[in-house]
Amino acid sequence: MEKKRSSYTNYKPEDISGVKLSEEKYSVIGKSVPKIDGRVKVTGQAKYTGDLKFPNMLVGKILTSPHAHARILSIDTSEAEKLPGVKAVITHKDVPSLKYGISPARWDENIFCIDKVRFVGDKVAAVAAVDEDTVYKALKLIKVEYEVLPAVFDVYEAMKEGAPLVHDEYPRNLNAEIHQNFGDVEKAFAEAYYVRTDRFVGNRAYQAPMEPHSAISIWENGKLTVYCSTQSPHYFQYYIAREFGMKMGDVRVLKTFIGGGFGGKLEPTGLEFAGAVIAKMTGRPVRMFYDRADMFAHNRGRHRVHMEITTGVDKNGKILGVHANFIQDGGAYTSLGIATAYYAGAMLPLTYDFENFKFDMLRVYTNLPACGAQRGHGAPQPRYAFESHLDRIAEHLGIDPVELRLRNARKPNTVTPNDFGVQSCELTACIEKAREISGWNEKKGKLPKGRGIGVAVGSFVSGAGYPIYRTDLPHSSAIIKVGEDGTSATLYTGANDIGQGSDTILCQMAAEAMGFTYENMKIVAADTETTPLDFGAYSSRQTLMSGAAVKQAGEEVKAQILEMASVMMEVDVGDLDCREAVVFCKSNPEIRKSFGEVARTFFVQKGPLVGRGVYSPPKLGGKFKGAAVGTSPAYSFATQISEVEIDEETGEIDVKEVWDVHDCGQVINPSLLHAQVHGALYMGMGETVWEEVVFDDKGKILNPNLGEYRLPTALDMPKISSELVESYEPLGPWGVKEVGEGATIPTMGCYNNAIYDATGVQVNSLPLSYEKVWRALKEKREKEKNKEE
Amino acid sequence: MYLPDFEYYAPSSLPEACGLLAQFGARAKVIAGGTDALPKMKQELMAPEALVSLKNLSQLTNIFYEQEKGIIIGSRATHNDLANSPVLQEKYLSICEAAHHMANNQVRNRGTVGGNIINAVPSADLPPILIALGAIVKLVGTGGERTVPLEEFFSGPGKTVIKQDEILTEIILPDQPFTGSTYMKFGLRRSGALAVVGVAAAVVMDGDICKDARIVLGAVAPVPIRAKKAEELLKGKSVTDGLLEEVGVCAAGESKPISDIRGSAEYRRDMVRVFTKRALKKAIQEGHC
Repeated sequence: MEKKRSSYTNYKPEDISGVKLSEEKYSVIGKSVPKIDGRVKVTGQAKYTGDLKFPNMLVGKILTSPHAHARILSIDTSEAEKLPGVKAVITHKDVPSLKYGISPARWDENIFCIDKVRFVGDKVAAVAAVDEDTVYKALKLIKVEYEVLPAVFDVYEAMKEGAPLVHDEYPRNLNAEIHQNFGDVEKAFAEAYYVRTDRFVGNRAYQAPMEPHSAISIWENGKLTVYCSTQSPHYFQYYIAREFGMKMGDVRVLKTFIGGGFGGKLEPTGLEFAGAVIAKMTGRPVRMFYDRADMFAHNRGRHRVHMEITTGVDKNGKILGVHANFIQDGGAYTSLGIATAYYAGAMLPLTYDFENFKFDMLRVYTNLPACGAQRGHGAPQPRYAFESHLDRIAEHLGIDPVELRLRNARKPNTVTPNDFGVQSCELTACIEKAREISGWNEKKGKLPKGRGIGVAVGSFVSGAGYPIYRTDLPHSSAIIKVGEDGTSATLYTGANDIGQGSDTILCQMAAEAMGFTYENMKIVAADTETTPLDFGAYSSRQTLMSGAAVKQAGEEVKAQILEMASVMMEVDVGDLDCREAVVFCKSNPEIRKSFGEVARTFFVQKGPLVGRGVYSPPKLGGKFKGAAVGTSPAYSFATQISEVEIDEETGEIDVKEVWDVHDCGQVINPSLLHAQVHGALYMGMGETVWEEVVFDDKGKILNPNLGEYRLPTALDMPKISSELVESYEPLGPWGVKEVGEGATIPTMGCYNNAIYDATGVQVNSLPLSYEKVWRALKEKREKEKNKEE
Repeated sequence: MYLPDFEYYAPSSLPEACGLLAQFGARAKVIAGGTDALPKMKQELMAPEALVSLKNLSQLTNIFYEQEKGIIIGSRATHNDLANSPVLQEKYLSICEAAHHMANNQVRNRGTVGGNIINAVPSADLPPILIALGAIVKLVGTGGERTVPLEEFFSGPGKTVIKQDEILTEIILPDQPFTGSTYMKFGLRRSGALAVVGVAAAVVMDGDICKDARIVLGAVAPVPIRAKKAEELLKGKSVTDGLLEEVGVCAAGESKPISDIRGSAEYRRDMVRVFTKRALKKAIQEGHC
């Protein structure tokens, strides 16, 4: 008897007749679903790179320079090699001499220093051994003979004729020079009612992610696999392949879980390069790692910017022109600093509508650790200067600071003088809402002595308009594969969850686009071999860019599901829809089939059910030099108001409450969004009041630990009200924009303005430490006393 | 960072512990909570050949009251043991508060009062309030035991009068007439910050009149110091805000701060003025707090 093949199954479709479909516009997005990795993280089940163990794995560390500037005369590794347990000791002789970096405009780093070291912490050699203790002991046995050279630690000293050169190729230590001029600033100043110049200095801050950097390198059959703590597997893959002259296809970079990045894990470190070489030499996997002090020395944190800012306004406070004249301490290498330098000026005109803008910037090499991208990339310190400066202008004109900002706030569908196109922009609504919820009108000028209230605004990109290195590859792509039996779907994306929650929101977006459920989504992310290209987690790009690719992939799945269902149900495809894993007739929703049954039938008849998506931003920006930096398909806008109480005897700053109102387009996951605001504000306020990397007069960091590099604690956090305004970005999937960095940007200026309101003194350098406030108050009292006499 | 190699001993009696210390001499260090010793060893600031742990000497963790003697605090009591001790909370809440505001909870669970004293860090939080309340420390060595007023115990940063074979076993707080005491710490964030200035005050009040006072300053001299001139200024007088300001200025003058990454000498000196004034006011108005 012949048995029909199709009946050879026990499959019974799920009964979905009773499932009540949501009547809301969206089924999955816009909801605070639980974080997809929440449980494994809080239970400790989640393993980070440093937790991974492979059979026969070695551990390794990098030997760094004790001098800020010195010629390497000789390196003797023989004693270290003799130590039992040591399996490899390498120096510049064992690695390619090709220079690398992250900004292609200035590749200026070697895996290990060849002729000289340029800061305390510069990389000289590496050791791998059977355990950590042996590694530390071996490091001490490497003898490096140095000739110490004069060093420069200050940008003004570094630019003097005859100053020691950090890199011989860069006279006067000028790493980059920017001169941009839009409109006619001189004319604007000549016509202005009031022109004012103020000067400010920033601080060197460090990202201090909770997870220290580490990388595990493994060679198999000519292929290099690197597990690492990275914000961008793709860029690591590109730079590692380039350094070793390998095909990108022979380099696989992936991650497990990442404990924060904030910009500091965007570029490959010596760990990946040295680990790759040692793993090849020894034929064993090797885990290279930084400890906390190494992280501070590697750095790539916030640049200290010296800022002079001049603004001309009319009688009503309308901004006519702005000149930003900045000098940035870059440290010993370029890192991402060229982009940081451009960002410092480029982001200023976003918030206010003015036509004349001049931006001059010098990025200067010094014998200090290299600075790079830190949350808000280049924007927060200049924003502190600009917002503090605008309050002085408002005071001079007798205009309320909130009112001054409202008069100048950017409107939607406008173009900045530096050619950034802005579609959605609800800055005015943000300012008005912040004024209302903070009780500004009831408080401004009416608070008791020592209390003050301040305002500042900000704006940030929703993904950089151009990749870091020149390429026409799309920025994001995604694949969704529906499981054979239709009960689950897996999203494959190169997007990288570094703690911010992108795995969660991308699964929400996938489920929404497919007509599926979040609870049944799985994700494989940030692995250059199994997931399709995405540039990764930086410039607040993933919700918009990765999201756009995921949405497209989900829609492709849904289209195939509906087509299959149309055949199965004998209903016209135009009358079918799918949500929450239920395929139904729009004309009669009681006629339905489960997503699972349709997907399973699809697999039986046609093979894997897969959807694909890809995203490239539209062509953005102007034609001038540096026009690409700061371009983005969309910009977020934010207003912060803070209320502070100053202890006038000690200078202690007690932040009572902060109100943050964001225009971040449509929201995918409200609780993750507000968590981003809290986190960004936390980092912003840390840099504002407490955090600073401090050096001795030899360029050695005095506080490379979490005891003396004072991140705020839970007890230091103020009450936060994070609110949103209605907004929809036409260029974002479901109208989304950024939030991750935007709330870091206004904080420094906002606190400074509140402190001024409370005390009448302005601190013109970050951090706004208790002692600086105390000193400013003391000087003010002395001045007043002298006046009386 | 890694721990250098060392020999480890966990003796089960005090004489045995003292014997080991005598045997190794300067090459041995005592370890209690380890919150100071282990980081120092990892940072290569010290490399003892042997560590003598007090972990098996459990009698050293007790906190109790003994008639005619006062409160006895075992040297191995942790900061959280102090903060949560009913005996201390009843008599000198000020000590509990000082312990509670130290470092962070993890350190307070491990770190001990004995370690906080023995390390003789100028910014340590417990010595000022213990000195203000007249604490005496008991030292046990191979040759017997002795007591030293805590005020005379410190001889410089990281230095004390303890002998190589001695172990600090008890802190004794004799009964005393103080009506109020407090410790105020000024750190640069609300948790996990070392004191930039610490001021302990103890007072005997009779109505408005301050009959007796002790002011102890931390983090502004090589060792915790009494501001004796400031104390004299206050004694026997009716307390007013103006007088407290004067006393604060006087204490600031007695301090000998240095500049470091946490604050300049100038700032520290002025903070002595501010916190002397505030600590006295608190002790006068709120008792032991």
